[in-house]
Amino acid sequence: MKTSIFVGSLLAILTLAGVAHAYPQYQLSRDATCTGCHVSPDGGGPLNENGLAVAESSAWIQQAPEFMYGMSKPEWLDLDGHVRSASGYVRPGVNSVAIYPMQVELSARAETHGFSLNLTGGLRRPQEGGSALHVLWSREHYLMWRQKPGENTGLYIRAGRLMPTFGLRLAEHVVYTQRFGGRPLYGEAYALVASYVQQKYEVHASGFASDRIGSAVEKGDGAALYAEAKLGDHAAIGVEGKYSKGDEVTSIYGGLTGKLYLPGPEILLLAEGQVVRKEITAGAGDKATQLAAYVMGSRELGSGLLLDVGLGHFTQDTRVKGLYRDCIDANLHWFMTPHVEMMLTTRLELLDAGSSPTGAYALAQVHYRL
Amino acid sequence: MHRLLLVTLLAGLAACGTTPDERPATVEVIALSILAPSCGQVQCHSTTTNLEGLAFDTLAAAKKSLTELGVTRANNELIEVLHGEGDERMPPDAPLADEDIALIEAWIAAGAPGL
Repeated sequence: MKTSIFVGSLLAILTLAGVAHAYPQYQLSRDATCTGCHVSPDGGGPLNENGLAVAESSAWIQQAPEFMYGMSKPEWLDLDGHVRSASGYVRPGVNSVAIYPMQVELSARAETHGFSLNLTGGLRRPQEGGSALHVLWSREHYLMWRQKPGENTGLYIRAGRLMPTFGLRLAEHVVYTQRFGGRPLYGEAYALVASYVQQKYEVHASGFASDRIGSAVEKGDGAALYAEAKLGDHAAIGVEGKYSKGDEVTSIYGGLTGKLYLPGPEILLLAEGQVVRKEITAGAGDKATQLAAYVMGSRELGSGLLLDVGLGHFTQDTRVKGLYRDCIDANLHWFMTPHVEMMLTTRLELLDAGSSPTGAYALAQVHYRL
Repeated sequence: MHRLLLVTLLAGLAACGTTPDERPATVEVIALSILAPSCGQVQCHSTTTNLEGLAFDTLAAAKKSLTELGVTRANNELIEVLHGEGDERMPPDAPLADEDIALIEAWIAAGAPGL
């Protein structure tokens, strides 16, 4: 019994709420911005026409990539859906396998004359002791206006519940720069986001307030800025900043991102480093500085395979020597069809360079895009 | 002379590894700096999910949960799971750092002030 609770808890941490599905690994190898494949100016969510074509051409077995294989629907309506589950093998503790639900979400987008209503809703983990209705929720709901409908550049304005744009925005939420940085899982807030996207640069400015109605991971009000510029054809550099003031903690995040595509070996390197200043304002208070960094190398292997290898570092408090963790990640994605992704994700984690127990896991995930 | 130099060098290296923990042992630091990011993730012991009836993502919720775990006693459930082995340990993905556990124990030894 305890084993199943343990495995369930671990998988919950690692997988249950995995919702992002942006793959910046494809970006520079295809000379594209996020809007090259996604409707949203900062990636993730429903794919546009080119994104669907990329999903089809990248897959091992080619199929109609559209929602429900091209079911008939009004032209002004876009639909998208995701179902994920995972099974895991973990150490230390137990070596065990369990199957766990991860994501069940549907997205709808209705657009006319550049204005669109975007809704994403689905299921989340039940609240123990809470109402059964708690499992139903809308993670994102916002209005978007874009300057150039049908194109992937220009000005985008979004208002509603969504994630303020920040950082590399990788699909894996356990990446240290996301888990401990300025883009935590379920970090959506009520926000006004202005994005200006060109082929050579993009700027995203967000003002946000925490969700006072539903439960919120982002507990502060504040602002975020992310800007990225291409350096030649195969490199990009970005700067990021975020300020969040909550009732108990004020956080300031600052950092840099970098992307470098190596055409010879066909490897894309992605890197992000953040300095986080956290001030506890409740009670006697305290101030701490944290460091989070992640580097990932990514390569397409053909037949729908994509391999990522990543290194992460997180210093929890720079005042305390040895209070840090490092990790080595390896993820193998297999885009079997435009709708089915199989993924093996593994991590080896070291606390304080190994003086404390080491954590490790290997999880197999199945992702079905409707 | 060489032996003295070696001893001095080793003593110096040892001192580098024993920097005192400057963090205050307060309930705010325990809850918001240690337990919230490690235990209070949204899908675990958060006010959203309330796994096992515990939440650590806000100060008020953490105080309530710490009280339920009996942290005013030296031998309490929190310390038990933090030191647990295998499937008895929390957090399950990676243990808390020794420095964090030591700070929590120092706070408990001081009578868990602020709770």
